[in-house]
Amino acid sequence: MTSVFLLAVALLAQDTTQGKAVYQKWCAGCHGDTGAGDGEAAHYMLPRPRDFTGAIYQIRSTASGELPTDADLMRAIDDGLPGTAMPGWKDRLSAGDRRNLVAYLKTFSTFFADTSFRPQPIAFGSAPGGGGGDEALRTGRLFYDSIGCRKCHGDRGRGDGPSSPTLKDDAGLPVFAADLSEGWRFNGGASAEDIYHRLRTGLDGTPMPSFSDLLDQQFLTDEQLWRVAQYVRSLSPDAPEVRDVIRAPRIAGALPRAPDDSAWNDVDRYWFPLVGQIIVKNRWFNPAVSGVWVQVAHNGDSLALRVVWNDRSQSPDTAWLAHGGRVLSSLALDEGSAPAPQPWPDQLAVQFPLTIPSGMERPYFLMGDRTAPVYQWRWSSASPAAAVAGQARGLDRFDPAAAGGAGAQSVYDAGQWRVVFTRALATPDSASQLQFQTGRAIPVAFFAWDGSNAETGTRMAVSTWYFLALDEPVPARVFISPVLAMTLVLVVGLLMVRRAQRASGRQP
Amino acid sequence: MRHHPFWQSVALLLIAYVLIVFGIPMLPGSALVPKSVVLQYMLTVLVGILIWVSDDEARWTRFKEPLHAVLVESRLKTIRNGLLGALTLMVGCFTYSQVRASVAAPPNLRSIHPAPPSQLTFRGKTISLTGLENPLRAQGDMATHLATGRRVYYQNCMACHGDYLDGQGHYATGFNPIPLNFQDNGTIAQLTESFVFWRIAKGGPGLPREGTPWNSAMPAWESFLTEDEIWAVVLYLYDATRWHPRTWGETEGGGHD
Repeated sequence: MTSVFLLAVALLAQDTTQGKAVYQKWCAGCHGDTGAGDGEAAHYMLPRPRDFTGAIYQIRSTASGELPTDADLMRAIDDGLPGTAMPGWKDRLSAGDRRNLVAYLKTFSTFFADTSFRPQPIAFGSAPGGGGGDEALRTGRLFYDSIGCRKCHGDRGRGDGPSSPTLKDDAGLPVFAADLSEGWRFNGGASAEDIYHRLRTGLDGTPMPSFSDLLDQQFLTDEQLWRVAQYVRSLSPDAPEVRDVIRAPRIAGALPRAPDDSAWNDVDRYWFPLVGQIIVKNRWFNPAVSGVWVQVAHNGDSLALRVVWNDRSQSPDTAWLAHGGRVLSSLALDEGSAPAPQPWPDQLAVQFPLTIPSGMERPYFLMGDRTAPVYQWRWSSASPAAAVAGQARGLDRFDPAAAGGAGAQSVYDAGQWRVVFTRALATPDSASQLQFQTGRAIPVAFFAWDGSNAETGTRMAVSTWYFLALDEPVPARVFISPVLAMTLVLVVGLLMVRRAQRASGRQP
Repeated sequence: MRHHPFWQSVALLLIAYVLIVFGIPMLPGSALVPKSVVLQYMLTVLVGILIWVSDDEARWTRFKEPLHAVLVESRLKTIRNGLLGALTLMVGCFTYSQVRASVAAPPNLRSIHPAPPSQLTFRGKTISLTGLENPLRAQGDMATHLATGRRVYYQNCMACHGDYLDGQGHYATGFNPIPLNFQDNGTIAQLTESFVFWRIAKGGPGLPREGTPWNSAMPAWESFLTEDEIWAVVLYLYDATRWHPRTWGETEGGGHD
């Protein structure tokens, strides 16, 4: 009996020796052999890996300034931290390994040494009802403004508040205020509960404070703070599904050429994630644009392509120069030494092949190469009411088309660019411009630069090839088969009924 | 009516449908049943029910009664016409959905491990791949090589291939095809180290046509890394995943496919 008990204790015990072995194999590459967050990959990411020696953790259930609970550490390991390089390890390491790891992480800091003190989670209440209702959201919005959320997170929550260019963490590294319209990238989770917990605990080590003291001062009630969380939750859709093919409806009459034309409300939108250009020199490990929303419509003569993406700054903006410098100096760069930040513009490129491929072969997704060019529309905030059409032959060569480029209109509004590109489906200059056709899968890719985040040239966010399909007018043959099938079913059905009725009529 | 075989059959079909569509996904560790599988299950259930009702002559006759009644009885004329109309419409809609034009992404027929060249040019130096072993296995200190390999991996490869080497780095979702999963027994476990060296050195742009080089986000690492750094990261890949590379003895005549 005693031995069984001892065995159980031994099994449950957290073993720092085994934790160390797991740590050195899977964690040290980023977090460093001594846990200081200075592993070999540390300078290839922002935000940086956690420095365990300081024991300052963003995602906790405990009050601001306190240590996290074991469950808090376990959650970060299990589920990872969305929006960062930290993956979830639940399916990768055994439960025992992960428990041992938590024990080992705590040995990096003397703050955990006093085992008589056990961090206690805040007693969070549960969400008041009516969270999605208009009244609740109005209350949430009211306090979103009055407790200062919009100073950093901005009027529409896109992380573009007036303080956002100045934000640094305790180590002096640049941080972005979270874009609240992309909840799937919240490192502490996207539910209203998660958001409420972050409001209560703050994100220690960052400019995001705890608002628990405002409750103590009775500046607002607990219910009102919940409303803020519910309002923030309402700013983001669920994580968008990535679909391969953009379906462009054929619409009658004029195309919506203005970015805020109400006709866009009726066109399906598609999300494409972008990641840093880490393929050719000079690579970029800190892209600011996480993805683009794309809508396309055509009217048989021309097409309009609307790209919407969030960008915290209307570049060039000298208020962001210092931020750009901090970003450049905190990353490992192929350039060697960090270049001086300049007031670069925001840019966007939409890419197609030069001709619609008949097989699966197409040009290299990263702007083609010397032998197989791509066709692109390039837009820059430096001349926001125009786009340049042309051919790229690799990242370093772009030749504008002689005539008949694409048109563009753009709007910058509260941390978001909305740009509409327009072009005739067919152009006279068919050698240097793509001729669009309906009913074909046309490869398309997207590239984005945030000038204020020091993005220019090869320092950008990229996608791979997706597809655009312009709806064809419905040909008559599409209706023939259904009509034939229906007639057949009806005739057979009527014959069956007649036969059955005759048969039963013969029998008395 | 409660014990009528026809209505019992209808009830059975409904129960089976609810179980398959809503019940199975609720079991721990299971997912939504795909529509084609639902159809198969439902057909199986239907066949079973038909066997059961036709097994007994009296039951079969009773089973057919409501069907027959709908066909012949004049008081059921509305139901008869309604069913006939509904069936016709359903067939029409189904046919329309089948013939309607919809554009799909072209199939991506990609050879994941295309045949390697017999030699390659690395920064102007010709390296013969046939029979080539990892030179670092025979020289220097293995711990030093592995440390170099780990550094190279974390600074260059991790963002896509992930810190667990399973192809799920934080950039992985941005690319298609997704980065290779080295933990899987179908990748480096099946390859010689010289093949892996070739893939790292020449990357996506160095793939033959059947490897769809235009889609691959794999950089050509010869412009970033030295020959020894690539051999070191190859050592690290095998060490971290505990796979063993194929040796030339095993692959003689077999090639790399």
